Amino acid sequence: MDLARLKTEVKELIVRELNLEGRDPATIEDDAPLFGEGLGLDSLDALQLAMSLEETFGVRIPEGDEARTIFRSVTGIAEHVLKGRTTTSS
Amino acid sequence: MEPPVLAPVLAPSAPSAPSALSAGSSPAGETRLVITGAGIVSALGPDAATTWQSLLAGVRGMKPITLFDASTYRSTLGAEVNGLRNIELDTWSRTAEMGLVAAREACVDGSVADALARGLRVGLIVGATTGGMFETETLLAVLSDPRERETTKDDAWRKLLSNPISSTTQWIDKELGPFARTRTLSSACSSGANAIVVAAQWLLLDLVDVVLAGGADGLCRLTQAGFGALSACDPDPCKPFDVTRKGLNLGEGAGFVVLERDSTARSRGVSVHCELVGWAVGSEAHHITNPDATGRTPARLLTRCLERAGLSPTDLDYINAHGTATPLNDAMESAGILAALGPEAQRVPVSSSKAQLGHTLAAAGAIEAVITTLALRDGIVPATIGLSSPDPKCQLRHVTSPEHRPLRVAASSSFGFGGMDSVLLFAQPGYARPQRTESHDVVITGAAAATPAGIRFGAVTHEVLDAVLSAEPQVVVDPSLFDPARARRLDRLSRLGTLVVERALQSLPGPTLAAAGSDASYLDRVGLLVGNAWGNLDASAAFMRRVFDKGPRLASPAEFPNLVPSSPVGHISIYLGLSGPSFALVDFAASGEAAFFQGVEMVASGEMHAVIVGGVEEESDIVENVLSRVFEGPQEHRPLRAEGAGAVSLSSAEIAAERGLPVLARVLSAVAFRTHLLNPLSTLTSPGETPRRALVLARDEATANRLLGQTEWSTVRVRAAEAATGVHESVGAILLAAAASLVASGAHSRVAVVGESQGNGYAVVLG
Repeated sequence: MDLARLKTEVKELIVRELNLEGRDPATIEDDAPLFGEGLGLDSLDALQLAMSLEETFGVRIPEGDEARTIFRSVTGIAEHVLKGRTTTSS
Repeated sequence: MEPPVLAPVLAPSAPSAPSALSAGSSPAGETRLVITGAGIVSALGPDAATTWQSLLAGVRGMKPITLFDASTYRSTLGAEVNGLRNIELDTWSRTAEMGLVAAREACVDGSVADALARGLRVGLIVGATTGGMFETETLLAVLSDPRERETTKDDAWRKLLSNPISSTTQWIDKELGPFARTRTLSSACSSGANAIVVAAQWLLLDLVDVVLAGGADGLCRLTQAGFGALSACDPDPCKPFDVTRKGLNLGEGAGFVVLERDSTARSRGVSVHCELVGWAVGSEAHHITNPDATGRTPARLLTRCLERAGLSPTDLDYINAHGTATPLNDAMESAGILAALGPEAQRVPVSSSKAQLGHTLAAAGAIEAVITTLALRDGIVPATIGLSSPDPKCQLRHVTSPEHRPLRVAASSSFGFGGMDSVLLFAQPGYARPQRTESHDVVITGAAAATPAGIRFGAVTHEVLDAVLSAEPQVVVDPSLFDPARARRLDRLSRLGTLVVERALQSLPGPTLAAAGSDASYLDRVGLLVGNAWGNLDASAAFMRRVFDKGPRLASPAEFPNLVPSSPVGHISIYLGLSGPSFALVDFAASGEAAFFQGVEMVASGEMHAVIVGGVEEESDIVENVLSRVFEGPQEHRPLRAEGAGAVSLSSAEIAAERGLPVLARVLSAVAFRTHLLNPLSTLTSPGETPRRALVLARDEATANRLLGQTEWSTVRVRAAEAATGVHESVGAILLAAAASLVASGAHSRVAVVGESQGNGYAVVLG
């Protein structure tokens, strides 16, 4: 799966899993911050997101600072998923 | 001209008390509340003495869980209680059994059988969260699949009915009672502490002479998976306040105390362990799982506890902390202690017992209250085991091995999901000032109801009773009534509850709560109490199904906090910014009534300026299935179930006058009684001089006739509500709201509302 397609799927997952009612996934910018500012998500959202990313893409999100880097934006998440899948398939 | 409001509105709950004992010998308006009995069941031992000795010996109760296969959970540890018989007996839950054992110990210690034999009024209050979840969660997971419901036997369905969280209360009542009054409340991890707070109010209002109060909770897969999903579990033994702490270990157990006025204790000749000198309850109104990092709510509560007792931080000699060992809790709690105590925080020893007992959820507040009283009794400060490198964010006076010294005053803190915080303050007898007893008239200043027929509030709330329920049992909830960003975590129960609570507040013209936004000292004394019988059963079933099908790693962290019984009240307090005490009440079919009575007591005792009380039930496939299977008789005769919610704003008459709140109705009488008693409603206010203008509101005529048949109300017209509201456990909250508006509209001079559930009866007269 290419990165662009993955980003779209991640956005859809964010809206669905975090009950962002009325939010069009397409309006989430690839590189905008997700937590604090930006979408205003919090640590409970991060946990829900990590769980559903693992369920959907089979990729584990590490805890702590590493997670912070991955969760900085949709691009960060998509890149981590792609990397994880490549590692798994190789 | 209306007759004057009768004070006190809360008639004593049983008529048989000898006045010499219940009146006491203290000066009028002052009394002391003393602990005369205590009991604990924990992983450290089957009684308080063994638990205390093991605690002081540094024993840790957490071990690999044997109750279920925990090998795939984030933490395999739990502080399990051994030697329970419930599995062989299969009659009660582990929670109920632990509750019963600890309650029995407290009763023996406090000679409660003697109090009952003397005809004293003894009350029972239980804080609970998991109830019979361990016994039902496997079944729930099965029932989450509609295809599997067909093949599930009726016996299994009945099991769901026998394990609500109020079942612990019922077992204790059956085995050790009957008690003059019972109540079940839930505020997650502060439930056990709040049970003791309610006990104090009952005594100050002279509703009972002696109270057995505590909490009980058993381990289960649901909480083990849920706290794991929240990354809140340490896979190793936990380390409260340590810089390397990673989270909590769950535990199970029960704790109970016997509380009474010192005059009663003297008359009975029972020995006093220590005195309960202060308590404070409040809500952070911040986040459903994360504490407010500033710690300002615990700080406010600890300060108020000391003020109530006429003490200052210099008097305080020990704090038994909530101390869960989660990174967020311990930092927040430390900030709160530092803010409340100032420089004295460097002197006052603080320790957490959870590194040894585990986090026993609803039992924790009660078990740790007993630990605190034992510390006072023996002059020993217990240690925080596992703490080796204190977190710089937790700069407290930590205790790493037990310290022997006389203690004057000690506090116990408990904080629950949704920011429901409680602090209890105990002292050597006579050290602090006595409690003032107050008695306030209670008025209703707002009302709202939501039924499938629509949402009504204020003076037209009763219009919901004019509807005839169709086959559509759902309340229409317009999403545009909510702020989408802030409401995204609100489930259906929370939304239904928010709608009525918000309107019970809004229906006040003039200075409303919202207009009093900056008036924090007022808002802090506005409580929120919500009755709910079933909780979010369908979501609990779906959660467990995921755990079984996909493994606990994929349990939903966002869903878990919505499964605790106090979740609706927590969400409502956060959404509406209500910072007073908030908790859930459970009395099965009369859960709305239980919330109403709790609110009336808080206002009548002067504890709160105002309390919004309500009840909410949602449509549930599983509940519908359970009830259809246990219904005896043709299904077409089964009354139509619906969902719905009701709420009223209660206020003291003085506060309503002071703040210009318009009064819909006055609470003339509120009698909570046991239905086995003979003529329990002898003190109920009469229908007045013109009974034709009075009305009885009840679910159905049979209930009204059964409860009011022996009273002057027996000839008053009964209006049955079920055809309009449908059947659910919180219909009582709708009836109370409708009754207030019927009085406000002038349609009736007095309205009596009655309800009952499993041995508890409730009768209210508004006028």
